[in-house]
Amino acid sequence: MGFLAPLFLFGLGGIAVPIIIHMIQRERREILEFPSLMFMRKISFHSFRRQRIRHWFLLFLRCLALLLLIIAFARPFFWSSILATGITGAREVVILLDRSYSMGYSDRWNIAKNAATVILNDLAAEDRATVILFDNEAESGLSSTTNRANLTSLIAGSELSDAGTRYGPALKLAERILESSNLPRLEAVLISDFQRIGIDSTTEVNFPEGTILTPITVGSGDEDIINVSVAGVFFDRRYFSGRERVQVSARLTNRSIVPVTDLDVTLEMDGRSVETLTIDSISNGSITVEFSSVTLGSVPMNGTVRIESDALLTDDVFYFVVSPGQIVNVLIVSSGRGSDDSNLFFTRALGIGSEPAFDVRMVTIDEFSASDLDDRQVVVLNDTRPPSGQFGRVLAEFVETGGGLLVVTGERSVWPTDSPDLLPGQFGSPINRLNRGGSLGFVDYSHPVFELFSAPRSGDVTTTRFFRYRPVTPFPSATVLARFDDGSAALTERRVGDGIVLLWASTVDSFWNDLPKKPVYLPFVHKLIEYLADYTPPSPWFSVGQVIDFSSPEVRLGTGGVSTSEYVVMSPSGTRNPIDIGERTEFIDLREQGFYEIHDVDAVNDQPLMVAVNVDFAESNLTMVDPEELASMITGRAGGERNVDTGQTRLISAENLESQQSIWWYFLIGAFLLFIAETVVSNRLSRTVLNAD
Amino acid sequence: MPEPTYSTPGARFVDPTVLARIGNLNLLARTVVDGFINGLHKAPYLGVSVDFAEHREYMPGDDIRFIDWRVFARTDRFYVKKFEADTNANFSVLFDISRSMSFASKGISKLDYGRYLAACLTYFATKQRDRVGLVTFDDDIVTRVPPSAKHLNVVLHTLDRINAGRPGSFEKPLFKSIEFFKRRGILLVISDFYEEPKALIDALKPLSYIGNDLMVFHILDPAEINFPYEEAISFQDLETGVKMPVIPEKLREQYRQLVKAHIATLSKLCAEHRIDYALFNTAQPIDHGLFKFLAMREKMNRIR
Repeated sequence: MGFLAPLFLFGLGGIAVPIIIHMIQRERREILEFPSLMFMRKISFHSFRRQRIRHWFLLFLRCLALLLLIIAFARPFFWSSILATGITGAREVVILLDRSYSMGYSDRWNIAKNAATVILNDLAAEDRATVILFDNEAESGLSSTTNRANLTSLIAGSELSDAGTRYGPALKLAERILESSNLPRLEAVLISDFQRIGIDSTTEVNFPEGTILTPITVGSGDEDIINVSVAGVFFDRRYFSGRERVQVSARLTNRSIVPVTDLDVTLEMDGRSVETLTIDSISNGSITVEFSSVTLGSVPMNGTVRIESDALLTDDVFYFVVSPGQIVNVLIVSSGRGSDDSNLFFTRALGIGSEPAFDVRMVTIDEFSASDLDDRQVVVLNDTRPPSGQFGRVLAEFVETGGGLLVVTGERSVWPTDSPDLLPGQFGSPINRLNRGGSLGFVDYSHPVFELFSAPRSGDVTTTRFFRYRPVTPFPSATVLARFDDGSAALTERRVGDGIVLLWASTVDSFWNDLPKKPVYLPFVHKLIEYLADYTPPSPWFSVGQVIDFSSPEVRLGTGGVSTSEYVVMSPSGTRNPIDIGERTEFIDLREQGFYEIHDVDAVNDQPLMVAVNVDFAESNLTMVDPEELASMITGRAGGERNVDTGQTRLISAENLESQQSIWWYFLIGAFLLFIAETVVSNRLSRTVLNAD
Repeated sequence: MPEPTYSTPGARFVDPTVLARIGNLNLLARTVVDGFINGLHKAPYLGVSVDFAEHREYMPGDDIRFIDWRVFARTDRFYVKKFEADTNANFSVLFDISRSMSFASKGISKLDYGRYLAACLTYFATKQRDRVGLVTFDDDIVTRVPPSAKHLNVVLHTLDRINAGRPGSFEKPLFKSIEFFKRRGILLVISDFYEEPKALIDALKPLSYIGNDLMVFHILDPAEINFPYEEAISFQDLETGVKMPVIPEKLREQYRQLVKAHIATLSKLCAEHRIDYALFNTAQPIDHGLFKFLAMREKMNRIR
């Protein structure tokens, strides 16, 4: 039995008040010692005993009436399925079969498929069924069909995927199928290992009322699940004798308390076993295994970290691609007079860093020539005038074709009118803030340059003191990324063609500000240059479910990236997919674990681009969720009646049940009848007592 | 509760509450007895005494020493002189000290009242040169002082120490006490007699059958007679501990009638069995009750 407005039940406390008062009064009554009750016993004290009984009877009547009244207000209803639905007829059954890779643990997958087949075989001829195979996505082969043979073969032919578990999409699909059904009985069967990580609380699923959800748990008896997984790989790059060496470290995780001992971990590079280490013991935690360093060549290397096979094979291997270190080429153009000092901090800052490394070349403005821009990605005009004439046009062309330009203002900065139109704004004569100095009043932390500092305790750029800067009047096409506390633009951006121009209104040395002495200087300079060079670090691996968009310029696969227009992508299982840039198939959905090979159609003899794809290691966590919790997620509120014997969960709203049953009427009528009876009885009894007296 | 009213004017009769202030029972008894009742008591048995009782015609076997020769001289017939019995009678008090006797609505308890009565009569009996004894009982014999002419102080001392503590009964202790009174004497039973009159008489009868002169003093508190309670209250039986919620005003009249009937029945049954019965209200002066009772006995003796 449930209540729609259970708060009214607090009123039950009110019933106790007269009883408590009565009891207190009784307690307070004195006891008088009398020599003998011999005569009182002889007296027919029936009269006062009856009065007491009458009192209690009336009290009982009143309490009962109050109780019924309160229950009526609390709007009671029964969860009884007989009362809830007495529906018979054909069924619409949706079977949701979990095929995430965790179902590969032990014999779960076969058990699940058998369970689904049994359910299909139990269906009556007029029943319709749908099989939804789901991992982190859901698909239904045949929707709402009576063709058992097709469904059975669909289940028999289904295979485990390499993806993780998400119940949301599958339940949404089931909800759509059930909602569109016109059959009287709606049922959903969820066959899964009920991993907790599959619950997405943001997905709200509301099955049609009356739907019976039957969770079937596979592998619930596996109390001592032992599963070790390779959860990730890290690289430590070092340069030794001019060669780049990388040390691979792998993190292994065992989520069970049962320790695993003498576990072999093998590192393979380009298909050859490089090193095998043995782990003494690992239980309920993670450990990191460090392999010896490997020398990198000029081309990316495919690597694999493998552990001995356990009950869940999929997460026992980790694939990755180690690319040679990336280098961003920077040209610093300075005025020549005392330029060493003004470039000191800047060049030192760029000298530090390996991902990417910065290759810095410095020239004075007088020495600047067109050839200086060859193979450069970023040009920095540090406190100097722009190149004029022909060189100015070369610089403009450099920017328009995707190069980055950073203009740093200082004492010697000028921008003559005949110079190329590249600046984001017009800068004026320097402003002195010699007393306490100015600071940055506004910073656009959403911009890639400042994004690093947006999190708490990750560097504060606003503590920098600026004693001199040039006021900048931004052009309409420019974007101000940072302003000084007087409102003047500090960093202004403008897109010119495919390139980016940034204007910094102060110096990058310590003459006009104390920025170089701040901890934020190094990351700030790195981010400035990386942004201007449009640098994206290469991904050593992707996860199953990710999509590579070939049409996006951000895509970088290895050193070469994607440059031509036609490719053939070979999946780990050997499937070939042609990719034609400019056509509809511009992306590839990574659904398999392993190495994808991307072959350039125009350069058949070249080494193919390799993309490592790993499974989602959150799926390795086999912790189960109570199907009850899942049921409450599906209803969106607690209210399902769970039948423990059959493991069924009936989904019907409390409001609906209550309005169907309307039991409160009976309680209300009962209460009024009792009040009437109480009045009659009390009147009659008082009359009797009066007559007796 | 109404104040006790003295039927006889004057300060002669002593208020029990005033008496209660006298700690010494000997002094108390003397205070009460010496005041008024010296010489009222007569021994109930005929025998060798200075007091002439009656003449009877000589029967063969009579002691010729008792032939009244003066009557023979006048009438020429043999008459024998009968005398009142000797005053060396046994006077024993059977005192009920069951827990119900400890009740006192106001003033002194029934136990104290009974204690004073027993002390007064014991003192009085001693004055008459009677042997005095005491038996206290509840549901069994508690203490016993055998009758003796020298036991006044022992009896008073025993009376002084008694406490009402246990539930009481009559049949068992009275039956057991029969063997103490094989010699005829005066027996005084002091109790509140919370027992069915028939059962009481059945318990008392054996005492009178062996020739004892039996008196019963029925002591009641005024609250037990008048039932003056007003508020609904739980009454607890002093002896059994049983509680009973009671609305007094609903049953006062019935209660009073029952008590009156109980007293009447007890009085009637006692008269039938030649037992002297007297009701004492603890609100009344002790000597007032004693005087009434002894005067009544005197009258009865004369009739006898």
